Amino acid sequence: MRKFTTIFSHIKSTKMNFSVSLLHRSSPFCPNQPPHPNFKNLTWQNRDSLLLFPLLCSRHFASTTAQNPSTLNALQDHYQAIDFPGGAVQFIPEMRFISESPKERIPCYRVLDDNGQPILGHNFVQVSKEVAVKMYTDMVTLRSMDTIFYEAQRQGRISFYVTAIGEEAINVASAAALAMDDVVFPQYREAGVLLWRGFTLQEFANQLFSNIYDYGKGRQMPAHYGSKKHNYFTVASTIATQISHAVGAAYSLKMDKKDACAVTYFGDGGSSEGDFHAALNFAAVLEAPVIFICRNNGWAISTPISDQFRSDGVVVKGQAYGVRSIRVDGNDALAIYSAIQAARQMAITEERPILIEALTYRVGHHTTSDDSTKYRPANEIEWWRVARDPVVRFRKWIEKHGWWNDMAESELINNLRQQLLHTIQEAEGVEKPPLADSFSDVYDVAPSNLREQEQWLKEIVRKQPQEYPTNISV
Amino acid sequence: MTSWLLGRSSRILIHQQQQLHKGPFLNYNSSCSSFRSTEPFRCRDALPGKNSSPTLFRFWRHESTKAEAQLELEQDVTEDDPKQIIDFPGGKVGFTSEMRFISESPQKRVPCYRVLDGNGEILKYSDYVQVGKEMGVKMYSDMVTLQTMDSIFYEVQRQGRISFYLTQMGEEAVNIASAAALSPDDIILPQYREPGVLLWRGFTLQQFVHQCFGNTHDFGKGRQMPIHYGSNKHNYFTVSSPIATQLPQAVGAAYSLKMDGKSACAVTFCGDGATSEGDFHAAMNFAAVMEAPVVFICRNNGWAISTPVEDQFRSDGIVVKGKAYGIWSIRVDGNDALAVYSAVHTAREIAIREKRPVLIEALTYRVGHHSTSDDSTKYRGTGEIEYWKTARNPVNRFKRWVERNDWWSDKDELELRSSVRKQLMHAIQVAEKAQKPPLEDLFSDVYDQLPSNLQEQERLLRKTIQKHPKDYPSDVPL
Repeated sequence: MRKFTTIFSHIKSTKMNFSVSLLHRSSPFCPNQPPHPNFKNLTWQNRDSLLLFPLLCSRHFASTTAQNPSTLNALQDHYQAIDFPGGAVQFIPEMRFISESPKERIPCYRVLDDNGQPILGHNFVQVSKEVAVKMYTDMVTLRSMDTIFYEAQRQGRISFYVTAIGEEAINVASAAALAMDDVVFPQYREAGVLLWRGFTLQEFANQLFSNIYDYGKGRQMPAHYGSKKHNYFTVASTIATQISHAVGAAYSLKMDKKDACAVTYFGDGGSSEGDFHAALNFAAVLEAPVIFICRNNGWAISTPISDQFRSDGVVVKGQAYGVRSIRVDGNDALAIYSAIQAARQMAITEERPILIEALTYRVGHHTTSDDSTKYRPANEIEWWRVARDPVVRFRKWIEKHGWWNDMAESELINNLRQQLLHTIQEAEGVEKPPLADSFSDVYDVAPSNLREQEQWLKEIVRKQPQEYPTNISV
Repeated sequence: MTSWLLGRSSRILIHQQQQLHKGPFLNYNSSCSSFRSTEPFRCRDALPGKNSSPTLFRFWRHESTKAEAQLELEQDVTEDDPKQIIDFPGGKVGFTSEMRFISESPQKRVPCYRVLDGNGEILKYSDYVQVGKEMGVKMYSDMVTLQTMDSIFYEVQRQGRISFYLTQMGEEAVNIASAAALSPDDIILPQYREPGVLLWRGFTLQQFVHQCFGNTHDFGKGRQMPIHYGSNKHNYFTVSSPIATQLPQAVGAAYSLKMDGKSACAVTFCGDGATSEGDFHAAMNFAAVMEAPVVFICRNNGWAISTPVEDQFRSDGIVVKGKAYGIWSIRVDGNDALAVYSAVHTAREIAIREKRPVLIEALTYRVGHHSTSDDSTKYRGTGEIEYWKTARNPVNRFKRWVERNDWWSDKDELELRSSVRKQLMHAIQVAEKAQKPPLEDLFSDVYDQLPSNLQEQERLLRKTIQKHPKDYPSDVPL
């Protein structure tokens, strides 16, 4: 703990260009600054000086600025500003409660309208033809994957599947805005990020079928992808656990002075977990270069967001932790791309966390184990599928630029279908991982009790081979 | 519960269906929204001639990568195109084509509600709930009693007569004034630095001492370390050590009060450090979604043992967390008994009448050490401590006010302090002589009924004591 504190002091010292000792705070204001016995007797000049001191001691209150007398009068603050731990704060004689939500909701950043036309304003990051076409083709690829793999599950060929239908823009555009060195911590509906980074369709299929080529050795249920090569942390089912992991990874990247950040994804439901709270607070206090991307798709299985939270969504939670935040149209690939790229710049150059709430809609069922028409009307789903489709919107934009056409579309879709069907045949025909993989990797080296258990199982299989599947080697 | 949830879902489905039929663009003034957005409560006891609200903070544009500061209390969001209002789940939201990140903290800190200035004078234009003489004197007396309790019990621990103690020094106003603003039916779920609430509710000095000594008269049967008070009779949930666990419990209790149609709320206390626990997050969110009549009172005293608030969070304290959950919140001068009283009184009314949670952040300073196991001069200057002990003392400030009202005198002060001191000395003598709880209390109350394995363990222990009686204390009856 002492070492940690020392390191932390060093960090703060480096950032603020002078040393602050956390172990020997000597006054409410600044080291070696004696407190004033009576604030009411201070002159305006002295008061301004006092107000400035918190700037030197606590950078996170940089927004606290000295007010000149006329400004103070204009604000009708006749009462003293005085120091409590945490910084100077104005007093007011009126008992005024802050409302639970603002009069108007936080606006949503958008670049393209529903017809794929750029809205007024120049505040978005330009995308080249090459990047845009790859973005579009990956969005279509993701959708084709979802369509075909979903059917494979319905046919009982794989045990489980989760689609990203309606959320393709968030997946692909965010990945496009990142660098390969950025470390990604997904939830489970972000396969598009891995796709963008080069994970092949065959690699996806191998995981879904849990065959011998699955990097996860068939140990997790389908859609729990992971790839060290692509800096994509393996998915785990437990909701929100990855969020605080991302903060630790980001802190490590900062300590190693990498020009990269950690990026983590979660749904609106994930924001209700205690780990979300831990992550955002740690990220702010430790000044970690991490981007939190919340896919607010309106649902957590059957739970609508009116039963998930009563705030104005997730974006307002940023200020509650001292984290910068923005709300983005999640069905607008260009808005996502721009916001993520800007967030990445800030996170890395300023060593700070950023929270992005992407508003979208979960068009598909939660998973293959869910029939969402049981709790929401079919026409609501259809409206989002048709009128608000992120893929169609982006297509209109690239077609307008002359970067895409119907022929290219037909070619792409046909090609994808063939590739996917081929990958399924390949994956299905391969044997499962060996029995030994059920016991390895629990620890780095298998301890004696696990080796013993493995031997027992092998002996049982040897005695009753007919009870065990033939496509698993012993 | 199930039918209630189904009812809610049905209503939401119908609501969303109605939205759907209106098509992609809705009227700007459409009321379709699934989160509440009413004006916050304003105290009806406010004095006339109040100032108008502070000048509205105006937005200005920055470069895209710079966060914009915003005045948290008011938000002047200018829509680029008022027609561009569209429905996402959660309600209608306006669009903007400008990429503006919300700053991590507001331009100015949320102001702190205060009634009495440092000299115990009521601030001009202050709106507050009136306190009569009887109430004022009792509040002051209990603050002094609490202060005296702390001085004496602290020394008793230093003498090794009790094992542990934790003082309230500097936080007497938060303790007593909040209790005074509540009703005995309101259920209290404390952290550990709120015995003043129990004192106010009638827990006797003797009862406090019994718990600290863990003797046979302790309601807790000597099972918890000192200061873990509890009293069913006073609606004060027994303290437990794990931080923040009581917060979601308070929400459940509040929900139960609501279901039972009681005219009462749950009130729970926590420190600034507790706001970093996951249970704080769970409690706030559940309270908002379940619309529970609960008042959260956070004693932001600047420290969590040796951890200062800037290493605890980087927000503008705790008051800004209210909006993150859809909860009304207010920041109060925790060293001002009248401000605390007024805010808690009003919060209670809001919680019960409107069936909603309210968050109160009371800014204060922990004058004493964290506990008898801590020497706080190892991580903060003695000058700082002394400043808060003398110049910002909540008891002294309130005393000036009650004296100015001619409700209190020096003679009363001497009488009170002398009387409390005698009572405490006597209570300690009585408690110290009393027996410890019987051996069987180690095994009872684990479950309602003693299962066979625990019965067996008790028999084994008794057999062991019979064999080695010298190894066991004589003041524990068998």
